[in-house]
Amino acid sequence: MNSRFALQSTSCLALITALGLLWPAAAPARIKLITLPLRERVEIQLDHPSVTLVEEERIVPLVKTAADDEPNQVDFSWANTAIDPETIVFRVIGPAAGEANAGMQIRVHSVSYPPNEQALVWQVAASKSGAARVRISYVLGNLSKSFNYRAVAAHDEKTLTLAQYMRLQNFANEEFMGSFDADKGANLWAGWGRQFTRPVGLNETKEMLVAKFTDVPVRKTYTCNPATHDYLDRPQNKLRVPMHYVLKNDKASNLGTSPLPYGKVRLFIAPRDPKDATLSSTFLGEDWGAFTPIDDEMRLYLGVAQDIVVKRTIDKSERKRVAGNLYHYEITLKYEIENFKDQPVVLDIQENLRHVRGEIPNLAGSSRDVEWELLPATDLEGGPDKDKTTFDEVLFHVPLPARDKSGKAEKLVRRLHLRFRNEW
Amino acid sequence: MKSSLSASKSVAKSATPSPALTSVAKSAHSPTRHPTTEHTIMHPRHSLLATTAALLLGLALAVPPAPARNVDLSTVPRRDTVQLTIYNSEDLTLVRETRTLTFKKGINGLQFSWANTLIDPSSVELRFLTKADKLDLLDTTFPHDKPQMLAWNVVSDLDGDATVEITYFTSGITWSADYVLTSDAAERNLSVEGHIRVTNNSGEDYENAQVRLVVGTINLVEKIARLARVGMDKVREMPSEERQVLRRGVAKAAMAPMMNAVAMEVDEMDVGGMRERKQIIKEGLSEYFIFSIPGTETIPHGWSKRLRAIEAAEAPFKVQYRYRPAQYGDQLVRMYLLTNDEASGLGGSPLPDGIVRVFRHNGRDGLSYLAQQTTKYIPIGDKFEISLGPDPEVIFELIKLKAFRDTIWMRLQGADAYRKVDDGAIDIDVNSSVAGWADHELYTQRIRNYTAKPIEVEVRRAFRGHVAFRSALPGIRLFDFQTPEFTTTVAPGQKADHLFEIVRQQGRNARQNNVTLEEAALKMP
Repeated sequence: MNSRFALQSTSCLALITALGLLWPAAAPARIKLITLPLRERVEIQLDHPSVTLVEEERIVPLVKTAADDEPNQVDFSWANTAIDPETIVFRVIGPAAGEANAGMQIRVHSVSYPPNEQALVWQVAASKSGAARVRISYVLGNLSKSFNYRAVAAHDEKTLTLAQYMRLQNFANEEFMGSFDADKGANLWAGWGRQFTRPVGLNETKEMLVAKFTDVPVRKTYTCNPATHDYLDRPQNKLRVPMHYVLKNDKASNLGTSPLPYGKVRLFIAPRDPKDATLSSTFLGEDWGAFTPIDDEMRLYLGVAQDIVVKRTIDKSERKRVAGNLYHYEITLKYEIENFKDQPVVLDIQENLRHVRGEIPNLAGSSRDVEWELLPATDLEGGPDKDKTTFDEVLFHVPLPARDKSGKAEKLVRRLHLRFRNEW
Repeated sequence: MKSSLSASKSVAKSATPSPALTSVAKSAHSPTRHPTTEHTIMHPRHSLLATTAALLLGLALAVPPAPARNVDLSTVPRRDTVQLTIYNSEDLTLVRETRTLTFKKGINGLQFSWANTLIDPSSVELRFLTKADKLDLLDTTFPHDKPQMLAWNVVSDLDGDATVEITYFTSGITWSADYVLTSDAAERNLSVEGHIRVTNNSGEDYENAQVRLVVGTINLVEKIARLARVGMDKVREMPSEERQVLRRGVAKAAMAPMMNAVAMEVDEMDVGGMRERKQIIKEGLSEYFIFSIPGTETIPHGWSKRLRAIEAAEAPFKVQYRYRPAQYGDQLVRMYLLTNDEASGLGGSPLPDGIVRVFRHNGRDGLSYLAQQTTKYIPIGDKFEISLGPDPEVIFELIKLKAFRDTIWMRLQGADAYRKVDDGAIDIDVNSSVAGWADHELYTQRIRNYTAKPIEVEVRRAFRGHVAFRSALPGIRLFDFQTPEFTTTVAPGQKADHLFEIVRQQGRNARQNNVTLEEAALKMP
């Protein structure tokens, strides 16, 4: 009444046979007659950040196991694959379809692990002879995913179309195709978005469009922040002004269905007339898109703006003694700003106040939190952005007019007037 | 005679199990080995690994030419029963085997050998289970040239059969536990499967063995694996008395009568005649728990066997988010909390330490892999606490909103007097420096919940120094002297700001090193 069935991928079966022939005579013999139940279905679950779970379903013939009988042996082997054997889960879904299998009950008694083999043997009892539907799950290494994006901005750079791709790389030395459904293949799911059914061959890389978001509002920003972006020309006090596309992962932006995973973003800009077939989109560059939770912003670096000039100087620095070695410091930062573009833009002026304090003689080495306040001479438009100003960062949005028709840019002068309190 | 007897001995040794009990026929007038001793093979053991047999044969052939008086005739009584009691806290297994021997009146020689196994020679003991009043162990000899062998001389008043029990410690047999937890898609209930896995690398095949597993930690002064690799003469040089006392204590405990035996609950299958899954018996014993596998198991050398030991179909559990940097790192983690009690369908025994693997039905007729971690021994009533790692749909941010200082004290250090040369004006300058102050830091603990359910979040954050923790957080409490903790609930799709202020006394102001809680109404700046 004892029967044995092997669950093996066809790619590994030949190798197992070869190993058997090569075994030394002293090795324990495992004479077996096996059947090879084929995969009925394969699910590749890619929803875990770092782990790939494979689930495969098979129909296994079992013989009735009377009380005194040894149970059926179901042999599972995985030679030359990176299956984590500790994660293998065997689940009996139930009897296979068909009247002959109706009412069949199945029990898994134990699992045995033969020495020096990538294999295990389940002992399975059945209330009657028939076929059972079983599912085997395991974590498989070298079957990994990554994400990348293609963003095409409209010509006016107000919106973009964001296509999200999942790239599956199969170096697991196992294929998921052919034997169970040649036309379809494995079901692949990233945890959100579209579910795919694709064959996955050995050493194959597949790239699939997970989602496509259209009319995503995008904000093009020009930012100067000496703490992070430094100076473009230090002797002339010219700040570097990087440009970014900023898109918000929320419903209002036609996104916000799930966090956006980390991945490379290739940026293009559409031609002036998208309907003109003679024109094509232009590659603007690429950047790594950080993992972006819902309601957060993804910032994509575009390069340094050449047409916006910002000169920053410390216009005034005074200290006022409170007592003994305790002082307040008053600082005035002056910005001379010119926009040589034909369009008006908004310049983001961001200052890290620890960095500003570090520019003051006597305070360069201080590690205390900055205690600061804005003073009335500050004339940056609109005051600080409350949402993005913290205890040591302040952000202003300064509108810059386009240059005039003669090509001359207006020079704006703005000041940030600060007091650092209780320093010593 | 000599050559045939030698050949017989070689064959007997080559087929001798390891360990093997060999009955040595003695001459009537000598209690020790004698050149005229005659031997017969009684019960050669039949299930040996071919590799072991080959090694034994090789060893037998490699023995230098022996003097004629060492030519023995041996019988090999087979094992009637064997019981393995395996301790997972140490590489230690107590083997208790019984064999039936035929004794003749007078002196009977017994030879016990354990070539190529990991038996502690100092632990081997012989006991007479039947006819004990007619049998006495006269002496035990450990031959200096054969480290994995001993000889017993038994004086018998009977001609006939008796059952003996041999106990010894071996290493190389281990067991471990693992658990598979599978949540339903709604994350209300878990199916729990606990397994035990026995691995035999002892060098010996144990066929049809009763298997008992000891849950708990015992004390050993030396590793069995080390003792198994030295001869008895070396073992004797070790601090034996204490070791023997401990060993016997362990053996006595393991062989004591079962108490409070409880059969684990498994769902019964009402199917006529089908072989049922084994129900592992769990029993309390002193400070330990013993899991006994009913019936017998055969675990050949090199093999492992995994059996289901614990099962609960629908164990209710709780999902909680925790911020405990000392335990889980600087991140908010998602937890599954499951209690080992009757309400969960568990609670029949403690849960041995082992690996936990967590899956969830993904609602699409498949599983999602969630996490794997090791768990410590879980007493009855205690919890499985499984961290699934961060949840990308819950954003946890600590934002420092404002910092300022007050309560500034100056240390006066005298004064300097200055006089202006031209008009004689006097200026007195008092020297002082900052000696103490209070740092104020206003924070919001912002939690954004993008899941479809309300979430419970526990925040436990330690602060060093002389700190006042000011807030209006409901239920704020001290976990310990420097760790405030609070629990909050965030509705689905909502953002919640939890404001608090830290006032840390510095310099001369710092008089304590602890945190006190203060009620304060705070506002976003």
